[in-house]
Parts: sequence; structure tokens; C-alpha cells
Amino acid sequence: MAIVPHPRQIQMAVVNWLDERYPFTKSVDEALYQRVPNYANAFYYCFGGMVFILILFLLLTGIFLAFYYVPDAAGNPAPAYTSVSTVIMTQAFLGWLMRGVHFWSANLLVVMVILHMARVFWTGSYRAPRELNWMVGVTMLLIVLLLALTGYLLPWDTKAYWATSVTIKIGGSAPLLGPFIETVLQGGPTLGPNTLQRFFTVHVFILPALIVLLMYVHFKLIRAQGISEPL
Amino acid sequence: MAIVLPILVYIYPPAGNNKKQDLPIKLDKPLGELANGEGLKFQAPAETGFVMTNGGGDNAAGKIAFAGYAVKDAAGKLNVFAINCSHLGCSVNLVTDKQRFECPCHGSIFNLDGQVIHGPAAYPLSNLDWKQGTTRDQIVVGGIQLKGIG
Repeated sequence: MAIVPHPRQIQMAVVNWLDERYPFTKSVDEALYQRVPNYANAFYYCFGGMVFILILFLLLTGIFLAFYYVPDAAGNPAPAYTSVSTVIMTQAFLGWLMRGVHFWSANLLVVMVILHMARVFWTGSYRAPRELNWMVGVTMLLIVLLLALTGYLLPWDTKAYWATSVTIKIGGSAPLLGPFIETVLQGGPTLGPNTLQRFFTVHVFILPALIVLLMYVHFKLIRAQGISEPL
Repeated sequence: MAIVLPILVYIYPPAGNNKKQDLPIKLDKPLGELANGEGLKFQAPAETGFVMTNGGGDNAAGKIAFAGYAVKDAAGKLNVFAINCSHLGCSVNLVTDKQRFECPCHGSIFNLDGQVIHGPAAYPLSNLDWKQGTTRDQIVVGGIQLKGIG
């Protein structure tokens, strides 16, 4: 009669095998089991965590939206438009939910980022030695706003087109560099398929990679410096 | 620097995608039959646009228009304008009985020579580069190829 091992024994064997090759248990314990100081036990200390969770939602739903989204704005109706309004919204199973979670997470993210920033400012947590983390945070705020801006064009509907037209005009009104900025943003002499291609690339490849990298730095710095004491 | 600079140049869109070309446009009637104070509206064909030759504000030289007007002023002088208002680029309407262009967005008014009569526009309408085409009702307008647009 075969002896069936208890599930915990299997778990122990796997964890031990891993731990002999890299101290996983130790690093996971260090990452997760941190005491929260009593003064940080208030709801407004949670805004940063909400930002993190929203970014996780956005990464996940964004990846799944990319299964059906077509970044091609040539023709009328453009594949970009129909891939959102028809394929994702009506044909793909729960596609409307995927887009809805992406949309609402994106909107809430901007709110939460600003609340988090307000809390850090209000509790004076930007002071020495945490200035560097404040700078990283401000950079991530800019990245979040750029993500919101580039993502807004992707559905390629009338609202998206004209909102981006206005945005590009604002960039184009910069002194001296205006026409250069406008051409680079548009990817040509006018707002069109090249613009969508650019905004898609920035929205999907460049900015998410940057923000994930900076989040890692942000959290490392928090762990190194601890949560700031109240004023 | 040696790595970043070429990347920055790479990001700047190449001009080869958007070749300049002359666009033959068929008008609703021959230019010779236009009465003084009368104008014709025309559209750029699919995947092309007209290139503005002058202007200010939102209408700088080199910017793109997707429609235009061929219009004779009271003295019989013929002008070909891009349709865009020099304020923020809306399409202006030709109001024949008032002998002027009116912008529906913010109320700018231009006379048939393209000069500003009433703001907020601060610059005249932009001219398009044009010449008489091979038939009487055709003009050839300076334009640019725009793949995938329109």
C-alpha cells in the first residue's frame, strides 16, 4: 500500500528544495512581515497602496485589452475604432468589463495618486532623508498623467481625436520648440494613423515599463527609510 | 550622447511618408462662370490634404487643410483659401449674401479677400497654392499625401 504524503509535506519539500537554492523564505518574510507603526494606522496612509492595486488592475486589464485592440487608424471606420467599440465591447466575452475596469481604474488612479501626494505633503513625509523618494513619486505622477493622455486617444472615436488635437495644439504652442514638438507628437504633418501608432507604443511599451521600474525604486526607498514619523 | 542622439533623430518622423503632390480638384462649375462675390467649396481627395502657403495663428505655412474655397471678391479678384479659421482651425462658412466668411466656433469674420473683419481671429485666412487645371472646371492645388487619412 502506497503511503500518501500529507499535502504539507509536499509543500515543505518544495519550499526546502527552493530555499536550498535561493533564500526565498527569508526574502519573502522580509518583504511581507513588517510591523506598521501605530501612527501609520489611519485610512489616509492607504492611498499609496490603493495606487499600487489600481496599477496592478491596469496592467492586467491592459494586457488583456491588447489581445483584441488593433492600433490601426487608417480608413473609415478605422480598425482601431471597431476593435474597441465592436470587438471588445460587444463580441469578446466580458470584454466590456475588461475595458470598464481599465477605464475606471485609470480615472481612479489619477484621483488616488493626487490624494497620496496630498497625504505625503500634509504629513511632511517629503522631508530629509526622503526627498529622493518624493522626486521619484513626482516622476511617476507625470508618467501617470502621460499614460492617461496617451490612453485617451486609443479608442479613436471623435472625443479621443479632438481631445488629442487640443493636447497637441497645447504642445505646439510652446515657444521656439512648438512646431518640432507638434511634428514629433503627431508623427507627421497632421493628426492621423501615425499619431495613434506613436501614442499606442508610448502607452503600451514605454510608460508601463518605466512606471514598474520606478515603483520598485519607490518601494525599496520606503523600506530603506521606513514610514515617516508624524510632524 | 552617441546612443541617445540617433534615437531622438529616429523618433522625428521621416518626410518620405508624406510626399508633396499637386492635387487636381474638380469644381462645381468653371471658375470663369463665377460671379463677383461668389465662391465654391471643395474637398481634398481621400488620403491627401492641401498645404497652406501663408497665414498666422493656427494657420501657419505648411499646415494641412482638408477643404478650401475658391472665391471671387467684389472686384473680381480670385482667391483660393484653406477652409480653416486662423483662430483655432474650425471650418469657416461662406455667407454669400453678407459677402464674408463666418467661423461657427467663436464668431470670427473674414472678408472675401481673407482679411479679418471681426476677431477673435488675428490673422487672415491662409492661401493655397493653385493653378488652372486641364479642364475649365478643374484647378490644381498644392497638397500632400497623407496615407490612411480620410
